[in-house]
Amino acid sequence: MKKIRIAAIAAACLMAAPTIALAGCAAKDDTVVLRVSNWEEYIDLGGWGDDEAIDIENTYTGEDYIFGENSVVDDFTEWFNSQNFGFDVRVEYSTFGTNEDLYNQLNLGDVYDLVCPSDYMIMKLLEEGEIQPFSEDFMDEDNEQNYYINNVSSYIDGAEGSIFDDYGWSGIAACYMWGTTGFAFNPELVDDNSDVAACHILTNSDYFKSVTVKDNVRDAYFAALSILFEDELNAINADSGMSEAEKAEARSALLNNTDAETIAAAEDILKDIKENVYSFETDSGKTDMVTGKVIANYQWSGDAVYILDQADEDDTELWYSIPEECTNLWFDGWVMLKDGIDGSEQKQIAAEAFVNFLSRPDIAVRNMYYIGYTSSIAADEVFNYFDWCYGVVTDEESEDFYEFENIYVYDVSYFFGEDSYIYIDMDTVAAEGATLTHEYDDDEYVAGYPVYSGGTISIGRQAFGQYPTGDVIARSVVMEDFGDDLSEINQMWINVRCLDVADIPVTTVVIVAAVIVVAAVAIVLYRFRYTIFYSGKKRGK
Amino acid sequence: MTKALKLRFNRKQLCIPYAAFLILFVICPLLVIIYYAFTNSTGQFTFDNLVQFFTNDNTLGTLLYSVAIAVVTTLICLVIAYPVAYILARSKFKKKYVLLMLFVLPMWINFTLRITALKEILTAIESNIAAYPFLNTVIGMTYDFMPFMILPLYTSLSKLDKSLTEAAEDLGANGFTVFMRVILPLSVPGIISGVTMVLLPSMTNYVVLDMLYNSTYIMGSLIGSYFATYDWNNGSMISLILLIIIFIITLATNRFNDSGEAEGRTIL
Repeated sequence: MKKIRIAAIAAACLMAAPTIALAGCAAKDDTVVLRVSNWEEYIDLGGWGDDEAIDIENTYTGEDYIFGENSVVDDFTEWFNSQNFGFDVRVEYSTFGTNEDLYNQLNLGDVYDLVCPSDYMIMKLLEEGEIQPFSEDFMDEDNEQNYYINNVSSYIDGAEGSIFDDYGWSGIAACYMWGTTGFAFNPELVDDNSDVAACHILTNSDYFKSVTVKDNVRDAYFAALSILFEDELNAINADSGMSEAEKAEARSALLNNTDAETIAAAEDILKDIKENVYSFETDSGKTDMVTGKVIANYQWSGDAVYILDQADEDDTELWYSIPEECTNLWFDGWVMLKDGIDGSEQKQIAAEAFVNFLSRPDIAVRNMYYIGYTSSIAADEVFNYFDWCYGVVTDEESEDFYEFENIYVYDVSYFFGEDSYIYIDMDTVAAEGATLTHEYDDDEYVAGYPVYSGGTISIGRQAFGQYPTGDVIARSVVMEDFGDDLSEINQMWINVRCLDVADIPVTTVVIVAAVIVVAAVAIVLYRFRYTIFYSGKKRGK
Repeated sequence: MTKALKLRFNRKQLCIPYAAFLILFVICPLLVIIYYAFTNSTGQFTFDNLVQFFTNDNTLGTLLYSVAIAVVTTLICLVIAYPVAYILARSKFKKKYVLLMLFVLPMWINFTLRITALKEILTAIESNIAAYPFLNTVIGMTYDFMPFMILPLYTSLSKLDKSLTEAAEDLGANGFTVFMRVILPLSVPGIISGVTMVLLPSMTNYVVLDMLYNSTYIMGSLIGSYFATYDWNNGSMISLILLIIIFIITLATNRFNDSGEAEGRTIL
């Protein structure tokens, strides 16, 4: 996860990509243009340094490492045109900054074939009938080249009871990246780690002007509701009488609540947050964490992992904490747009091939390495990559393992399937209320070494940011589209951000009024000084 | 053949590129703004957006906040820039263009870069800059717009005929009287253009606020937030109101400008 990316390289690659694609395909007549719009810096642009090769066997290229030489988009074009699809493809790749920007672009008449919005925007586009569902072939598990459906984690999509299945997005959207929301924080600067383990740090006056939130109404609203319903959420989490499904439903009902009363309560909390936090940041959060201007930063997990990586390079150890009460589980997924595909079978084939190519496990690893977010793909390569990044035992014959005293068995079975553990150094996961025991003997390499058991984990380092533990996932909520209440919530957000006339202190008003009156009197006196002081004579003519 | 190809330009035709530019990028967008300002989301004619602006505490508060920032910034700029411009204009120093250049030099550097640098300086001084949002915004704006105040003041002060001040001194006026009754009235056009060049952009330049961690909206950010949330109608209405405010200020200062010049002439 060492990711030193110079903007210039990225820019150069971006500019080079269309040129190269153009040069390669200009000669063919039947070239299909695939217009793709993705988040900024959300795909591997290639150009890795020689020492960056990931030491994992790559069955798809036949090499014994995974390496990003060219951009994924170029690799896709080359791969696609070398296959027998009967036509060539050229990708027009563009980017957007926020879901709202994308939505505005689409409304303004920009046409794309394949876009990658977040969960709620998928819901909105689906509601408006903009989305072209994937074909049955795309969801056919028997075709080996359908990398998406064959490799996506059954926790996310492709299985009964998966999240996409529950929400009815299966076959509509193909999950690209996913994650949680939480705080990246500096453990040396917080009084107590548990302070960061709840959203109410945002209104905690002990942390006056030292925590940032994203300048984004949805994340801010979620944080406000987490504070508003903190007691209720904690009660649900602790309630042993409810089933997991009932708990999930109760949490979702609280955090997707958009009735007028809740919006008003959230507005009050957000006004407190505005007074208390360092800023609502758009892009400065990462740098401000590393330079130590802020102690904690409410972030998406992928950005948090990136911040942690950056800080590591500057020898600053940061951690990631997921609020105890609840976290926002989010997804970014590829959807085809009706306006773009426009019934063209070739375009649909190209778009589906693009998604499948991105889902090819080695490509998924490359993207994860490059952007720091977590792919929806749960193939062996991805698991091995996770292990390669954070696991202490990389080679069963190795003696390295014995250097570590506290080994933590990190369970990601919910995502990678049964018995998916990696062994990581205890120092890379802070387990709250955790007890170390010697009982675990399922695996001979662990037997005899202290391992973690019990307790809830809500704090950890990059490994935890990328794949939170099952108990964190269990208390997460997917934030749905605001629907008809969107404009009220947007207005609420504007109210929070604007200066309320009623909030201006009386003393300020009095002082300003006094200054204006004095100035006005002085001007009048000066202007009519002859009339007043010299009885009408001007300049002694 | 060559004769037929020879291009003949009427002077009026030279305006065509600018006229095209004006129509395409000024008039047309303005019409679009007016259209959106007086319609609702379904495209029907309405005054609701106008009413909402003047009945909502928050939008009025934003207007007040923007004006406060702009006025304070302008006053500080004026107070700092006037002596500087005066000294520069009066200076007998042969290389005074070098001095002037030193004041204008910051404009050659990208302003986000300058504000980033300012952020670090302010952090060093204040330790936590988020605690003083208004102060920092004013400092940032002053830093950013100072050259726009110095330049017009310098131009009008250096054009000032020196014999006028000498005449006033010969007639027995002391330094203060000379300044108040000769120099100041004659520099009014410079003051006006400096004030206009600082006041108007500092009402809307929200990048400075964002970069210096001021979470309160000013007019510019309010418009931006309406547009970002697909509410083009309210956004357009606020843009239109801002446009009218600017228009009124320009009109008022032009009048003031004329009377200032008139006053200058009567002194002659």
